[in-house]
Amino acid sequence: MIELRNITKKFFQKTRAITALSGVSLTVPEGKIFGVIGSSGAGKSTLIRCVNLLEKPTSGEVIVDGQNLMDLSPKQLAKARRHIGMIFQHFNLLSSRTVFENVAFSLELDHTPKAEIEKRVTELLDLVGLNEKHHDYPVNLSGGQKQRVAIARTLASNPKVLLCDEATSALDPATTKSILALLKDINKRLNITILLITHEMEVVKDICDEVAVISEGKLIEQGAVSEIFSHPKTELAKAFIASALSLDIPADYKERLVSAPAENKRPLLKLEFTGQSVDDPVLSEVARLFQIDSNVISARMDYAGGIKFGVMLIEVFGTQENSLQAIEFYKSKNIKVEVIGYV
Amino acid sequence: MSDSMILLLAKGAWETIVMTFVSGFFGFLIGLPTGVLLFMTRKGQVLEHKTFNHTISIIVNIFRSIPFIILIVWMIPFTRALVGTSIGVEAAIVPLSIGAAPFIARLIENSLIEVPGGLVEAARAMGATPFQIVYKVLLPEALPSILNSASVTLITLVGYSAMGGAVGAGGLGQIGYQYGYVGYDVFVMNTVLVLLIALVFIIQFLGDFIAKRVDHR
Repeated sequence: MIELRNITKKFFQKTRAITALSGVSLTVPEGKIFGVIGSSGAGKSTLIRCVNLLEKPTSGEVIVDGQNLMDLSPKQLAKARRHIGMIFQHFNLLSSRTVFENVAFSLELDHTPKAEIEKRVTELLDLVGLNEKHHDYPVNLSGGQKQRVAIARTLASNPKVLLCDEATSALDPATTKSILALLKDINKRLNITILLITHEMEVVKDICDEVAVISEGKLIEQGAVSEIFSHPKTELAKAFIASALSLDIPADYKERLVSAPAENKRPLLKLEFTGQSVDDPVLSEVARLFQIDSNVISARMDYAGGIKFGVMLIEVFGTQENSLQAIEFYKSKNIKVEVIGYV
Repeated sequence: MSDSMILLLAKGAWETIVMTFVSGFFGFLIGLPTGVLLFMTRKGQVLEHKTFNHTISIIVNIFRSIPFIILIVWMIPFTRALVGTSIGVEAAIVPLSIGAAPFIARLIENSLIEVPGGLVEAARAMGATPFQIVYKVLLPEALPSILNSASVTLITLVGYSAMGGAVGAGGLGQIGYQYGYVGYDVFVMNTVLVLLIALVFIIQFLGDFIAKRVDHR
């Protein structure tokens, strides 16, 4: 549905050229949700703006719904853009218009008759759960409600494709969840293909089918979400996955932590489960085999694309010899073990 | 104060109001599109066009640097060709409009610069044409700021019209000049001043009031 072929984008500043994107190719199949993840300045914003030609690529081809956008005249491009929805980090609602009028905006561009606008806008505001806010101005809405209005506005013209430019980055975690659920719902119900960019692995994990990692204007890794989560190849992909699973040692444990084994001190282990880890009930196996008791201090386990992964912080009770055997056992199950210290 | 003097002042006040608002209207008629063009052809905007932008910008600057009192005299042949005379209210409206237009153009340009760039981007992404971007996004979003510019402009025009009075434009300015400067009638001069001050206050008050009503930011 969306195909980028060898996209390069250079910005020219007086004497020097800055390459924002180089040789980017990606394909988003119809009905899928594709995420591009990268740090700020990696070129992801430029990438998504190239899809509807808000930024014109220096070279390469942009094909949306079988149409090469680079070949179109400005007039044809404006028409093609009506079928490519876009939502933004800062919502970009018109402050001079009410919720109803904002959603009606794209229909007005097409000179839709008033009665039809009325019907369609009401329908859309129902869909995004804002049917009581017709006559409110954006200034009186919360961030989540503003993004819902923006989604309704962009759906008004029946797009086949939806581009999400950091759509949840300005929202709190609970609101992020609800907006992501809405996007997923739209994707399923209306069969809209979604391309989103984000810097949060959580977003990718929650709703994406496929993901690409972008760094310094290049896609360094791409594939199915389960594949990337289970076999991340690049350091950056690993870092993003780790950030979705960050785990802090509680403060009072940190105070008592020493680096060498000592009398009355027990090892503190960090276990990392990845896609390669054997899916066994390892904690109870260790308890049975090596007479080891494990006290789980904190854990973050998750499930994405059919793969279980996560991190766990445990305090180990047992003899030193048994503890070492337990560590070897975890390693044999492809679980990454790190001895943080002794508490 | 005699009845005839009251009548004279009332007529003068009316002429000033007519000059201010009619030339304000024509000033906007020229200044608004010019300001929009100045903004739209700026670097990074939808109709970016360096040469065009610089050309208008230079013309605007030239007209803004001509002192108004000189502009009136300089424009006499043109004014005469247009309205058939070079004295009176009608004649004054011509240089007043031309004097206000470049000023308005700059104010409009600045008002449009304040509109968040993301709104234009969103409109482009929805397939809006440049014309639709102007009248559906930029102008409505900048309206509170444009209305503030309008009161600033009208107040400036009250001052300009009084200046015009010195060279036969009519209005309160001419009364103040004739009775105050030439005849040294302190009472008439002060009455004229009070009337001008009242007019400025009313314009500012109405401007603020309307701007506040349309502001939903």
